Amino acid sequence: MTLPLQDPLLSAEGEGQPSHRAGFFRTVLKERKAAVVGLSIIVFFVVLAIVAPYIAPYSVTEPSCAVYAPPSPQHWLGCDDGGFDMVSLLMVGGRISMIVGFAATLVAMIIGGGVGILSGYFGGWVDGSLMRVTDYLLVIPDLVFMMVIADLWGASLFHVIIVIGILEWTTTARIIRAQVMSVRERVYVKRARGMGAGNFRIVWRHILPQVGPLLIANTVLTIAIAIYLETALAFLGLEDPTAVTWGTILENAFQRTAISSGAWWAIVPAGFAIAAVIVGCFLFGQAVEDALNPRLRVAYLSIRPWRLRPLVGRGPGAI
Amino acid sequence: MSLLEVSGLHVWFEPPHAAEVHAVQGVSFALDAGERFGLVGESGCGKTTTVLALMGLLPPNASAAGEVLIDGQNILAGGEDSVQAYRWKDVAMVFQGAMNALNPVKKVGWQIAEPMAFHGVAQGAAARKRAGELLEMVGIPAAAGDRYPHEFSGGMRQRAAIAMALACEPKILLADEPTTALDVMVQAQILELLTGLARDLGLALVLVTHDLPVVAQVCERAAVMYAGEIVEAGPTEALYHNPRHPYTRLLFAATPDLYGRDAVISIPGAPPRLDGEITGCPFRPRCDVPLDRCRDEDPELRLVEAGHRAACHRNDLVGAS
Amino acid sequence: MRGSDYLIKRGIFALVTVYVAITINFFLFRVLPGTAVTDLSRVPHASPQLQHALTVEFGLDKPKWEQYLIYLKNLLHGNMGISFAYQQPVRDLLIQDLKNTIPMVTVGTVAAIVIGMITGILSAWRRGSAADHVSTNAAILFYAFPTQWLGLMLLIIFAGTLPAGGMENPFLFGAEPFFQHLADIGQHMILPALTLTLTAYGSYTLIVRSSMLETFGEDYVLTARAKGLPARRVVRRHAFRNAMLPLVTLVALDLGYIVGGAVLIEVIFSWPGIGLAMYDAIGQRDYPMLQGGFLILTISVIFLNVVADLLYFRLDPRISE
Repeated sequence: MTLPLQDPLLSAEGEGQPSHRAGFFRTVLKERKAAVVGLSIIVFFVVLAIVAPYIAPYSVTEPSCAVYAPPSPQHWLGCDDGGFDMVSLLMVGGRISMIVGFAATLVAMIIGGGVGILSGYFGGWVDGSLMRVTDYLLVIPDLVFMMVIADLWGASLFHVIIVIGILEWTTTARIIRAQVMSVRERVYVKRARGMGAGNFRIVWRHILPQVGPLLIANTVLTIAIAIYLETALAFLGLEDPTAVTWGTILENAFQRTAISSGAWWAIVPAGFAIAAVIVGCFLFGQAVEDALNPRLRVAYLSIRPWRLRPLVGRGPGAI
Repeated sequence: MSLLEVSGLHVWFEPPHAAEVHAVQGVSFALDAGERFGLVGESGCGKTTTVLALMGLLPPNASAAGEVLIDGQNILAGGEDSVQAYRWKDVAMVFQGAMNALNPVKKVGWQIAEPMAFHGVAQGAAARKRAGELLEMVGIPAAAGDRYPHEFSGGMRQRAAIAMALACEPKILLADEPTTALDVMVQAQILELLTGLARDLGLALVLVTHDLPVVAQVCERAAVMYAGEIVEAGPTEALYHNPRHPYTRLLFAATPDLYGRDAVISIPGAPPRLDGEITGCPFRPRCDVPLDRCRDEDPELRLVEAGHRAACHRNDLVGAS
Repeated sequence: MRGSDYLIKRGIFALVTVYVAITINFFLFRVLPGTAVTDLSRVPHASPQLQHALTVEFGLDKPKWEQYLIYLKNLLHGNMGISFAYQQPVRDLLIQDLKNTIPMVTVGTVAAIVIGMITGILSAWRRGSAADHVSTNAAILFYAFPTQWLGLMLLIIFAGTLPAGGMENPFLFGAEPFFQHLADIGQHMILPALTLTLTAYGSYTLIVRSSMLETFGEDYVLTARAKGLPARRVVRRHAFRNAMLPLVTLVALDLGYIVGGAVLIEVIFSWPGIGLAMYDAIGQRDYPMLQGGFLILTISVIFLNVVADLLYFRLDPRISE
């Protein structure tokens, strides 16, 4: 009953599905403004993270101003409790935060993607047992678990990365598994099997390209969560306190009574920076996910109804 | 004056990031009470959009032009606001794939009774009772009204959808592919039900389908649609035995026999895109007997014999077949 | 009762998960090297008597599997050990902490749900308008701001007008009227609960919006419109109910994590709840508290998952297997 807006001959085998390779991303960027905005933000921060050590105006290891010095022409965002320039702190902190975010996500993706593909492709008892494991892991409350583990293993950036990765792979695994299962049943995969292609080859040549865009969307969204969690762990004192990350910036501000000192500049900019990256990741990841959703965006309800055009003239050539 | 008269109906869609699609291009036909009329064509030819437009059920990115007259009143004149008043009371619709057409979290009886209460036909207990009667009329025990749609089989759901459509005693019933996705035995029952209802209740029935045996069984008259236009219209007998448009001929020839299971139409090629200008006859690329004229001139729908119209240049040839 | 075997199955699954959680808990705190419970020299202020008492109670001189059984037996009696820092039963302390956390979290979450629903429905209804863009982007923004940052911002803005920490005014002790006490707690609850609301509402808005938009494209919504029902009524009677189902599950699942996630808020506002207790326990190396708290929070997540299942089961008649 959907309105006939597409070529009916394409619907049959899913051969015309949109999730194929590079052209897909180009289309998403062309059609969805949110994706462009999101990607720009991400690129901006990645570039910033790379060049931070070179363009930071002041050192983050040697103090360069008074404790909680307010914003001034020399220090645009003032200084923190140790006399370090806030702008430099934010730049270098961003670098580390992004690295932690990306690394943790890499861990999560590798585990989650691997589990998802194995589970989805082989099914049966492999699937059953792997899904049981994810069920149990999903039940454990994230932050508390991380607190406990970070405490047991000690507070370091490396441990934070591992811990975030261990807890975040389950959603990825679920999504990838579902996608792999649906792709597995497609005609061209069955054909490849029939021709004797080995499992690895099938996964590599046929399944991964289809799963790719979804994996990328999920990766981006997981990066957002990882960065968010890093700030939370840092705030709770579970990260190396000497490391400079956006999370430790906030933690320092809280512990060293920035608020009662009136030093809002030690708090406000960090939050906006974190939010900016997360918003960027969210916009891009969500836009890609939406584009992959094959459902036609038909709307039978809307505040704006269809239009009536006046008939101009008569006969078949009219209008 | 006919009960239903559609005159020069056009529908356009504006998809996001794409050119405007002219989905329905100047469709006209008329129906009297008790008549059963078929609208035939392949997927995407605009037949579903046409009947949806008859009730003004278009999405926000659509625009329409033309007239839909019920008892002489143009119900589309005021756009969405005015057409609401006619829905279900004068014209009602049975949708295809009634699985999703029924609300999964509401009981079936409630869904049948709801429009009655809203349009003031019956309230409360009386409405529920009438819903039960309607269910009986379509061959379902009244007690089933207390069930949810997922508890019904496909055929029962379709019957329930028909009962629901009759709730406010409409004069016109539109049925959009009511038998697709049902197996053959159930198909036959539903078609018999529709035929019987049209006869007993004096309904004007518009049956939309891509399945020719269905049209042959139920409808006295039919129109064949292609690329948004009606290319031939007339008595079903005439369309079958004396088609005057190559598309109609190929359609009916492609069907193995009247009671065949396989309704897949295999005419080589594909319908034209409706988002651009088409010069000449839209069927020309797939036609097996094209003339030179067909490349430049779009044929008009013209009378070829009593009550039988076709849009093909071949009908102008002396001694044409 | 409909689908009672489904409920039983879910119940059993939950119990099994609880068991697994208990075992993981044991594994984390007793089997992994380097924990204070296994290495008594790490226990602060450990007098020989205390060390001996702990050894006896937890069987620390016995092999691991025996410790496991003792652990299980203790749990069945509700014995979660003695807090190192407070020298009191862990269970009593945690129950009190839970009693402090739950009201604050409930108020914050309910407000988040209400705001999320209102903004989500509004955004879906006025899709593409300026209001939609503002609402959606605000939701994304607040979702992106770190919880602790929002709390700090609220402190900056409201310090002076609203209490900045703690759950009650320490000088208001004694025989003052109950309502005054309640009002005092309420006042202290405003900022922490507001922080929770701001941080949580964004995801609810987005889910309600996308869920409603999806419902708007469902066939039964078209049917409802076809019945002549005005759009508002279709939203209220048909779309709303179906669209809220994902929100129900999301909220119930979220709640399990919120109780643990509220730790950031409790730390900032010194709210004496279970989150703050865990935070303090880490600083004080109070392992029995950590172990007990972790177990309680995991069980509450499992419990809330079951509640979510039940709710969904109750609301969606399609679930029966």
